[in-house]
Amino acid sequence: MSQDALGQLLHDLTTATGSGEPSVIMEQETRGGRELLYNFAFIDEDSKREVRRKLLKGVALPGHLVPFASRDLPIARGWGTGGLQVTLALVEPRDVIKVIDQGDDDSVNAVNLRRLIQKTTGIPFTTDTTEATIIQSRHRIPEETLRDDQILILQVPMADPLRWVEPNIERATEMHAEADYGHMWVYMYESVVRSGDMNIASEYPVIVENRYMMDTTPIPRYDVARLHMAETLYLFGAGREKRVYAVPPYTHIAPLEFEDYPFTTEHDPTKRCDKCGANDTYLTSHFVESSTLESAGRWAYLCSDTSYCQKRTHARVEVSPI
Amino acid sequence: MMNRQAMHGVDNREKREWVIEGRDLRKRYGHGCSYCDTLTRVEQGNRCAACGSITACAGITFALARGEILGIVGESGSGKSTLMQLVNLALPADSGELWYREPNETGAERAPVNLLTLDKYARRTFRNQRLGIVYQRPELGLNMNFSVGGNVAEKLLLADWRHVGRIRERTSELMRLTELPTERIDDAPRMFSGGMLQRVQIAKALSSNPAVLLLDEVTSGLDLSVQARVLDLIRHIQWELKMTMLLVSHDLGVIKQLAGRTIVMKAGYIVEQGLTDQILEDPQHPYTQLLVSSAL
Repeated sequence: MSQDALGQLLHDLTTATGSGEPSVIMEQETRGGRELLYNFAFIDEDSKREVRRKLLKGVALPGHLVPFASRDLPIARGWGTGGLQVTLALVEPRDVIKVIDQGDDDSVNAVNLRRLIQKTTGIPFTTDTTEATIIQSRHRIPEETLRDDQILILQVPMADPLRWVEPNIERATEMHAEADYGHMWVYMYESVVRSGDMNIASEYPVIVENRYMMDTTPIPRYDVARLHMAETLYLFGAGREKRVYAVPPYTHIAPLEFEDYPFTTEHDPTKRCDKCGANDTYLTSHFVESSTLESAGRWAYLCSDTSYCQKRTHARVEVSPI
Repeated sequence: MMNRQAMHGVDNREKREWVIEGRDLRKRYGHGCSYCDTLTRVEQGNRCAACGSITACAGITFALARGEILGIVGESGSGKSTLMQLVNLALPADSGELWYREPNETGAERAPVNLLTLDKYARRTFRNQRLGIVYQRPELGLNMNFSVGGNVAEKLLLADWRHVGRIRERTSELMRLTELPTERIDDAPRMFSGGMLQRVQIAKALSSNPAVLLLDEVTSGLDLSVQARVLDLIRHIQWELKMTMLLVSHDLGVIKQLAGRTIVMKAGYIVEQGLTDQILEDPQHPYTQLLVSSAL
């Protein structure tokens, strides 16, 4: 190889790393979003490839826990490192990212994760669910129906639903392999017998495609039903537990339930959001103290998905007569 | 007119319908070596002097007929529990065949299945639906973190029972059958005595209407009065349900009370098998003679 060709190759490699298109990189540099000190999306390319390979396996086997080599990141384990690694492995310069935590775009964790992604990729961010191509979330699936060209990445604290009934990982893996979910069913049965209902508020176990039992992460029961036959690709990353798994589009998801105790969500149509008036969303409650001594205060409800709530509130303001 | 075999009291098991048949089952613990293969007689023992491997089952062939109780007796380390685990499909056999045959709903027989050729998933399904096992130690057969009712219900849930009310009805029914107080259905196993826990295990094993019930030293460690109650219960269940049972015990008294036929094992080999009365009254092999004489 001649000296010129070698020089050209080196130049291409150093300028086009991670993006493929120099013009995109130039745009990012001029916008000042990305710190070039870091590799694009922080993680090295081999590690990204490793995560992507495991994700592909996860997509091929819906609901199956796939071990992966979880990398160290500049945030602590348990603060979304699993979801973040998935995001960083998938993100491209063309993507538009949305990061939410408990449905909120502006919570501390969401803002920190967003800053890290922004500093290392320089890609644009949005709070509008419909504009985003990749959404990283903890505890919620956005209210607006996701499309098939979007990817929702969920941060997972405890990947294996069998952990409650089988702490030995080796044994639990064997149980997954043999679809031996008797213990989990007994756990559900006992919760019904003890409390008269299935007392699992979040991380509700589901059966994926009549095969694997899967943990739905700390999303509320309200969101569990929305996983069934959804158009979007759902990816789950557990950094501390070093596992990824996936729910591809149009996957059959069945929550564990009994004939006489069917699966129900927390949804109560009599309650409405104080801001936007919605009664078809997942609401969070908070107590409002009374300003007078006569009344005792009241429980107020707000949409958990702040961006959706804002959208609806603006729409109401625009159409309401002055 | 009586046929000649019946006149002479010859074992006519060949004519009986068998449920499980083991053919030349072998199981070795350890890597094995060429010297292991030269150990072909019971007198040579089951431990390889060259590599230290233990041959727990060496060419075991037996047949378990429908509705009978087959006893397996032998000293500690003779391989009887390993044989039980092979039949329970909890251990993979090194070689041999384990055939299972059951009649279908119309009464016509299905083709026998070699259980050792099933994959892991099918094995577990078979174990859950067709086999019930009662261990010597209750903690092996029960999950101590669940209630007694939950433990008994586990097999029902695995068989796709999805109605809590009906599950509780069936659980109570099984607890009554095994003489357990139904009002304690939601109590934890640690609140039950040893004999009661054995009965909980029996209730759990019976919950899926198994084709074969495996009993592994069920009365060991129990005092005599409790032992007698458990034996009575097993006899009652066999009488009522015509259950096929494989009973492992080192206690000839238990074997004598329950088993119609008996296999005597030593060092991984079957040294003698036949009708229990015949074996106890007229033992042929020196080891069986020693066993019987020491029991008396």
